[in-house]
Amino acid sequence: MSLPLVVQSLVLGVLLGGLYALLAAGLTLYFGVMRVVMIAHSAFLILAAYLAWYFHGLTGLDPLLSLPITVPLFFGCGVAMQRLVLARLRPATRTMMSVLLTFAIALVIEGGLGTVFTGTQRRLQLGYSSASLELFGARVAVVKLIAFALAAAAMAALYLVLTKTKFGQALRATIQHREAAQLVGIQTDRVAGYGFGLGLATAAIGGTALALDSTIYPSLHWRWIGPLMAIIVVGGLGSVPGTAIAAMLLGMLMSLLQIPLGTTWAQTVFYIALFATLAFRPHGLFGGRLATRF
Amino acid sequence: MYLSNRVHRTTATTVLIAALACSGCGRDHKSAGSAGDPILIGVSLPLTGDFSEPGKGIQRGYEVWAKVVNDGGGLLGRPVKLKFLDDQSSADRVVSDYEQLVGKDKVNLLFGPFSTRLVVPAARVAEEYGMLFVEPAGAAKQVFEQGFKNLFYAAPAVATEHYKLLASYLLALPEATRPKTAAYASMDDPFAQSTAYGLKAKLEAGGITTLVNEVYPPSTTDFSSIAAKIAASKADIVVGGTQYQDGVNLIIALQQLAYQPKLAAFSTAPTEAEFTKAIGNKAEGILAPTGYTPQSKFPSNVEFVRKYAAQFGGPPGEDEANGYTTGQVVAAAVLAVGCAEQGDCQRKLVSWVRDHQVETVVGALKWDDKGRPQGAHMIQQWVGGKIQVVLPDAMKEADLIYPKPTW
Amino acid sequence: MRRRGPAVRLVALAIGAALILAFPAVAANPYMLTVGIGILNYAVLATAWNFVGGFTGYISLGHGALAGLGAYGTGLLVVAGLPSFVALGVAAAIVAVLAIPIGVAALRVRGASFVIVSIALVLILLLVFQSWAQVTGGSRGFVVPRPFPDLHRAEHHRVFFFLFAGLLAVALATWWLIDRSHFGLGLKAIREDEDKAQSLGIPTFAAKLVVFVVSAAFTALGGGLYALWFGDLDPVFQFSVLSGSTTVLMALLGGVRHLFGPLLGALVVGVGLEYFKLEYGDTPLHLVATGVLLGGVVMFMPEGVIPGLSGLFKRWFAPGEVSIREVTAAALLDANRREPEPRVTDRADATEAGR
Repeated sequence: MSLPLVVQSLVLGVLLGGLYALLAAGLTLYFGVMRVVMIAHSAFLILAAYLAWYFHGLTGLDPLLSLPITVPLFFGCGVAMQRLVLARLRPATRTMMSVLLTFAIALVIEGGLGTVFTGTQRRLQLGYSSASLELFGARVAVVKLIAFALAAAAMAALYLVLTKTKFGQALRATIQHREAAQLVGIQTDRVAGYGFGLGLATAAIGGTALALDSTIYPSLHWRWIGPLMAIIVVGGLGSVPGTAIAAMLLGMLMSLLQIPLGTTWAQTVFYIALFATLAFRPHGLFGGRLATRF
Repeated sequence: MYLSNRVHRTTATTVLIAALACSGCGRDHKSAGSAGDPILIGVSLPLTGDFSEPGKGIQRGYEVWAKVVNDGGGLLGRPVKLKFLDDQSSADRVVSDYEQLVGKDKVNLLFGPFSTRLVVPAARVAEEYGMLFVEPAGAAKQVFEQGFKNLFYAAPAVATEHYKLLASYLLALPEATRPKTAAYASMDDPFAQSTAYGLKAKLEAGGITTLVNEVYPPSTTDFSSIAAKIAASKADIVVGGTQYQDGVNLIIALQQLAYQPKLAAFSTAPTEAEFTKAIGNKAEGILAPTGYTPQSKFPSNVEFVRKYAAQFGGPPGEDEANGYTTGQVVAAAVLAVGCAEQGDCQRKLVSWVRDHQVETVVGALKWDDKGRPQGAHMIQQWVGGKIQVVLPDAMKEADLIYPKPTW
Repeated sequence: MRRRGPAVRLVALAIGAALILAFPAVAANPYMLTVGIGILNYAVLATAWNFVGGFTGYISLGHGALAGLGAYGTGLLVVAGLPSFVALGVAAAIVAVLAIPIGVAALRVRGASFVIVSIALVLILLLVFQSWAQVTGGSRGFVVPRPFPDLHRAEHHRVFFFLFAGLLAVALATWWLIDRSHFGLGLKAIREDEDKAQSLGIPTFAAKLVVFVVSAAFTALGGGLYALWFGDLDPVFQFSVLSGSTTVLMALLGGVRHLFGPLLGALVVGVGLEYFKLEYGDTPLHLVATGVLLGGVVMFMPEGVIPGLSGLFKRWFAPGEVSIREVTAAALLDANRREPEPRVTDRADATEAGR
């Protein structure tokens, strides 16, 4: 276990953690807004990745330029999904049923992608795909840096929206206590819809970032749903800053553990953290009253 | 009248069972039996999923074979018809596919699928139904240790021997230029691992130290950590026991870390058509073992290359050739024995193949009592932008480049 | 009317059993037999799942983990030297014992966390079985030796058809016994409203744990029997969230509150998938179909298709006959929350209010 390898893994872990933070942020938002476990989130991530790949294949332009199209599209999808489908579930059994329902949506997306794009594995071939930079003594691929930068920018934007805008405050109020928010005059139904849209919009950005350096195939979402769920539980369901911190921690931990344990065993760290959190501190890092901190 | 839910439920269940029972009977395909009827050949291939690139290659090989045979008047005077099923690279599906082909579609003959992982369960189905099973891609040790009596591998050598010539070459290099250390990364797949471990065993015996030995599950797409270990070890050579996409991803990850080995050898991936583009046109110097080259002068190969180019454009690759070879072996048996049916005929076909040599596009093939072919694979390298045979000397098209240019 | 119910039921039951037992004889070819075995396997797993889903209302997407453990457990024990069916029993017992700590951990949390835990269990076991290749064969597959090595394949299928049918019968019988028992009543109270059940003195945690262990045992038996029949295990298929949720779909479709619900669901989904495969080949469209079906069931008929349809039937032809056994607490709450209707004189309006 040489020092350069440790440094390399640490840097890689930070970059990975940032990306995970963005990918998981939406997931925790859905839960906070509607107590819904949205299993289809990672399927939407892969959908966004496919759209980015397809855009690049069609136009030859950099896939990041597809964001102005996909982000509003996903936002609209999210609002529609919340208003038309999830709001219809009975509140008493909403959580359980939402799992099955969003699971069904994930299957439809996977099947749809498989039908349209076939199951062949795809990878974006950009001119700068194998370029790398020297950073803090580690060799870092340019595409990973871009993905991290994108994730950081998106998280910063999310933070600004949630703290500085009226909508963001209304959203946080709805997450914190729905009835009280209604009492102060917030249109919680509409806000919930937009909150969902916001979550799916982060999926659009996250999926595009993912496409830069990943091989994508329709059933890839299974590989992501576990770690992302673990992250939101460890961070505290409904708390975006909790998710971000949990993502960084677990990303770095996994990256470092890959040295002694190998890639596959290292992935178990997410699940071990999940079980440990539920056993010893079920509310997670910042849960409890659901995102009281910001 | 009001009946309880329970009665409804039980009745509905009964009705459905009856419906299923009825649908199970009656709808049966007649097996093609007499002269003039086409000979139906059943195959399940991974046309989607992890193994889809090579799977589609084998399909093309089978299709060219069928066309060549039919253009020549068919087999035993009957046209051949291929029935393809897509097993999606899944071991579960390949079993039910071959069950369907033998049990329901009542095919006359079987061809094997792609990849050792799928060949073993599929071969069991064929074995338990008593069918001849010639397969183009089950090369690992495991395949021949299952006790199959009907299985024959249609290529020159088994997986552990694929790199035999490269090992001899490396160990014969003078002390100064010979590599001292090696890194291995292989997919947890019986074929991919066998090729890499076969080379590893020979090199370790010859004194080349193994610094890294990583194994990863087939669905792995993120190689940053494995590549980081290999790069950090600064091993002289890197050997990949890979299929297609994982090989591409591993190489890109190594390139991203600016790791420059003296020699890079990968199984399967470098022989696929899309390879150079996928890794950014930096394939110069990458090695791969192969059982086949379009340039070889075996008589049936000349015709194969010509017919393949006419049907698909471009030269055939190893997978296509393996498919074609399978067809040639089965055809030879059928013509010699004079029948093509399920049942007793299959036993005669099996005995014939066991005792005879068959001329194919990869040379003359013959098998031991476990179905292992007795030849040797060649080594190819990307030289001057084309993949060319570099070993053995007798068949080489270009000189082996060592050390490898930077990628 | 009510007296005829049980008699009709018994006759239908006998016919159904006879049809199942006669299937191997009328099946056109061995391939159809394998389809039948597949459906029986689904039915066993769905019925086993329904111990948890039907009695406690917890939707576990993680039963794939238990089936996989049963399968690999049986396989490993057979390779270690135990006779096949002894291995099956021992493996199921081991999984049942393992289910105790798993159940303790999983059942402490409710709602969203329970689902997340059940999925996480499947995924972590997938990783473990892929990595621990020396023992499990990893992704290279694990071959389980045949219990009857010299049987021709068609015979092998026939024998296992009856074995699966037997297992299904045992599972159904156990479910029926629990359903009628005092224990079952307590479980159903948990399903309707856990807090109230607890306040009534029902030992909710212990009850949930017991039924979870029973469910795990049957699931492991199903998985183990599959291993003996199929002979080749791959972690990707044994530890699959998708197969676990197909099981859930089947149980939901047929109706979780009823004995034959999961069997019915297994029949419908199994036949549907097979039909799809034969007509359209192995396309990803069957995933779309599964998703649409699951979504439809959840949105419009969460009690299951048969109860949903017969609910419709009853509303039109036999209004006003609503029993607390047929209506869930959740539906009752919704009905009570809705605006009170003005006094009705019309039969159509009466059915609306009575819902």
